[in-house]
Amino acid sequence: MRDFSIERIHVLKLETRDFGQVEIDETRVITMPAGMPGFPGVARFAILEREETRPFLWYQCVDDSDLAFVIMNPKLFEPGYSVDLAAALKEMSWRDDNEEDLVVYVIVNASEGVPEKITANLIGPIVINPRKKEAAQMVITGSPYSHKQPVFQSQT
Amino acid sequence: MLVLTRKVDECINIGDHVVIKVISIDGMQVKLGIDAPGNVRVLRQEVYEKIRDENISSVRGETGAFVRAAGLFKMASPLLKKRE
Repeated sequence: MRDFSIERIHVLKLETRDFGQVEIDETRVITMPAGMPGFPGVARFAILEREETRPFLWYQCVDDSDLAFVIMNPKLFEPGYSVDLAAALKEMSWRDDNEEDLVVYVIVNASEGVPEKITANLIGPIVINPRKKEAAQMVITGSPYSHKQPVFQSQT
Repeated sequence: MLVLTRKVDECINIGDHVVIKVISIDGMQVKLGIDAPGNVRVLRQEVYEKIRDENISSVRGETGAFVRAAGLFKMASPLLKKRE
């Protein structure tokens, strides 16, 4: 007979900013050893996905239910975007991992409240190592990209 | 704050692995060389502050704006930039 109680141990009840309480598998928790600039003391996040908000994903903080970033795949609006992942491997001491194992997201900003005017921070991407379940916000210098890159083309 | 006086070509060691060298001084501008391991992040302060401030600004986004932006993504792909 299968003991379902053992599986339940791995379910984390997560309080979220925008979706109430959500149950996630504990293995989906991502740790940011260097934290997030501007938010000292928080290190653990989980990616939440909702059909109605795709391609945007919620990067919900596990340590602070009121803290959530919205992230997306930058290639969806900037196909040529790339990050120096060799530097990311080095900075994070991810020695046994390859560049192609890493996943890159950018933080989306809708603080103007107008969907057409949302911007993405292309100089501070979140690089995730799914195998290690670790992530870091990289800082890109000397690139043509902006911290407020429009996601949609100008409407004018 | 520890304040040290250095001449051109002199260095400051921080811990065992970080060395900062004064390369040249030109009026109000100082050129520094920094040797640090790959896992030590070295940034101009204003770059760090830009990332930090943008992070703080980003969490203020109202959820409704993202739901509507997701709608724009789905129905209006010509809105998307095509740089390649």
